[in-house]
Amino acid sequence: MSIEVKGVSKRFGDFVALDDVNVSIPSGQLTALLGPSGGGKSTLLRIIAGLESADAGSIVIEGVESTNLPAQKRNVGFVFQHYAAFKHMSVAKNVAFGLEIRKRPKADVARRVEELLELVHLSQFAHRLPAQLSGGQRQRMALARALAVEPTVLLLDEPFGALDAKVRKELRDWLRRLHDEVHVTTVFVTHDQEEALEVSDEIVVINEGRVEQIGTPDQLYDEPANEFVMGFLGEVTVLDNVRLRPHDIEVMVAPGDPLSTPGTVKRLLRVGFEVRITVATAQGDVTVLLTRTNVRQLGLEVGQQVWLAPAAGAHTAPVPVAG
Amino acid sequence: MTTTTVASGRPAGKRSRRSTTPTNLTKASGLGLGVAMLWFSLLVLIPLCAVVITAAEGGWSNFWTTITNEQTFSAIRLTVTTAALVTLINVFMGTLIAWVLVRDRFPGKAALEVLIDIPFALPTIVAGLVLLSLYGTDSPLGIDVANQRSSVFLAFLFVTLPFVVRMVQPVLEELEKDVEDAAASLGASKFTTFRRIILPSLAPAIAAGAALSFARGVSEYGSLVLLSGNLPFQTEVVSVRILGSVENNNLAGAASVATVLLVISLAVIVTLDIIQRKVASRG
Repeated sequence: MSIEVKGVSKRFGDFVALDDVNVSIPSGQLTALLGPSGGGKSTLLRIIAGLESADAGSIVIEGVESTNLPAQKRNVGFVFQHYAAFKHMSVAKNVAFGLEIRKRPKADVARRVEELLELVHLSQFAHRLPAQLSGGQRQRMALARALAVEPTVLLLDEPFGALDAKVRKELRDWLRRLHDEVHVTTVFVTHDQEEALEVSDEIVVINEGRVEQIGTPDQLYDEPANEFVMGFLGEVTVLDNVRLRPHDIEVMVAPGDPLSTPGTVKRLLRVGFEVRITVATAQGDVTVLLTRTNVRQLGLEVGQQVWLAPAAGAHTAPVPVAG
Repeated sequence: MTTTTVASGRPAGKRSRRSTTPTNLTKASGLGLGVAMLWFSLLVLIPLCAVVITAAEGGWSNFWTTITNEQTFSAIRLTVTTAALVTLINVFMGTLIAWVLVRDRFPGKAALEVLIDIPFALPTIVAGLVLLSLYGTDSPLGIDVANQRSSVFLAFLFVTLPFVVRMVQPVLEELEKDVEDAAASLGASKFTTFRRIILPSLAPAIAAGAALSFARGVSEYGSLVLLSGNLPFQTEVVSVRILGSVENNNLAGAASVATVLLVISLAVIVTLDIIQRKVASRG
């Protein structure tokens, strides 16, 4: 195990940011810390990096007891949401910073900087200032800067949070490919479940200072440990007193299945290739997600009578008793 | 044939001449620039020229005798060296005070925030009275610097205190904490982070504060005139000396000394700017 977090707690005044958190993060993998804003995931990342100190508990990085080690000595790479670029230095100087601090020979530094800029596709921008780069380029520079010191672990705090949707998606794919090339143990914080599901090998769901579940993206999506995880990783709707995903519902235009629930189509909302259908049933509104093609095949229209049933193999969970 | 070459040559020439001086002036911004220049000329350029012309009216020999006059030279030396020393102290103390005000939380911080501006806001003669009653012959603190050179030093320190603080403070507030964290995680010690990351960002503000502090020191009158006693060769500063010349109806002499001060101030401002650029681009 690369990073061992044991019994870590942290308070800011009255606010409990982390409450007895235990996590083991495996070597060489890409792990996401996923959870809502203010849930404590960034605090945990900063404690691992040594930028924040825990009130209780211990941190072991690659077998080295690091709880009381200052950030300077932990050999972790850290990437910030807002890039934290050294504004008065060129891109190459930014990347070289960690190596210069370590007093590496000049020729070595120059060579390594060149390699890294190649890796993050910024070679032609080496002499620009950070202000002359786009957000995505700045974040790639920050990544190269963090990788320059050959960190034991790479930590990214909402690395794509400040970028627009398209660049976000590009960088996400790129991070995955980069990780497959470099293989450094990587932990990144995100509140975007899609990002976590798409990029990571393993996800740690954190909410209100506690770990809710740890598992692979598939495990979390298909077998959520509790209501919170199920709700946070994807949309949930209630059909016939069970909770399930809207795309796991089968729609029929004729009665047949005795276990199906009758209802009326109340609203059809097209979002790209998907159609969100609101069906009014005796127990309340149900949301169903179909592809546009499915809707056309069934010939669904507002006001139409339909029958709903959980699709075969759908994960369902009982509705928790209120109170 | 000839007419065509002239006709086609002229606009081309015009275009190339225009492209050598790039401007982005529209009609409105041209008017704005005109008003700004007029205002600047009326208030600054013309009076400054007038001083230099008045100095020149007395002739070179008169100028030279005035500024090499032992009493005048002594006043210039006292003023400039004291202002320089005070500025140097302000660069360190001002940055330190700004740092404390921005980074630390302590009881009475809000009060200190306000107190910093007092030397700014106080009429200088009031500052002079305050200094006289505190450090004069009847000093309740037992510190009597009246009629001594240190009184000039003290008065300069008092009135120039806010300049560096107030220039550095907003820049320091704008600095992202993330940048320091990034440097730390890359292995930089606190000192290295300050020297290579924070200081280059603060350099322009420190230089601007230092320039203001020096200029204010050189021109100071009200706050020291009561305490220093204005003793020739000892505690007489340039502004007092200039006033003396004017009172003796020696306008050319006064303007000569003023011109020297003007040149020194300009040199200091340019030097500070050069230093600032060097520090800001280091890293």
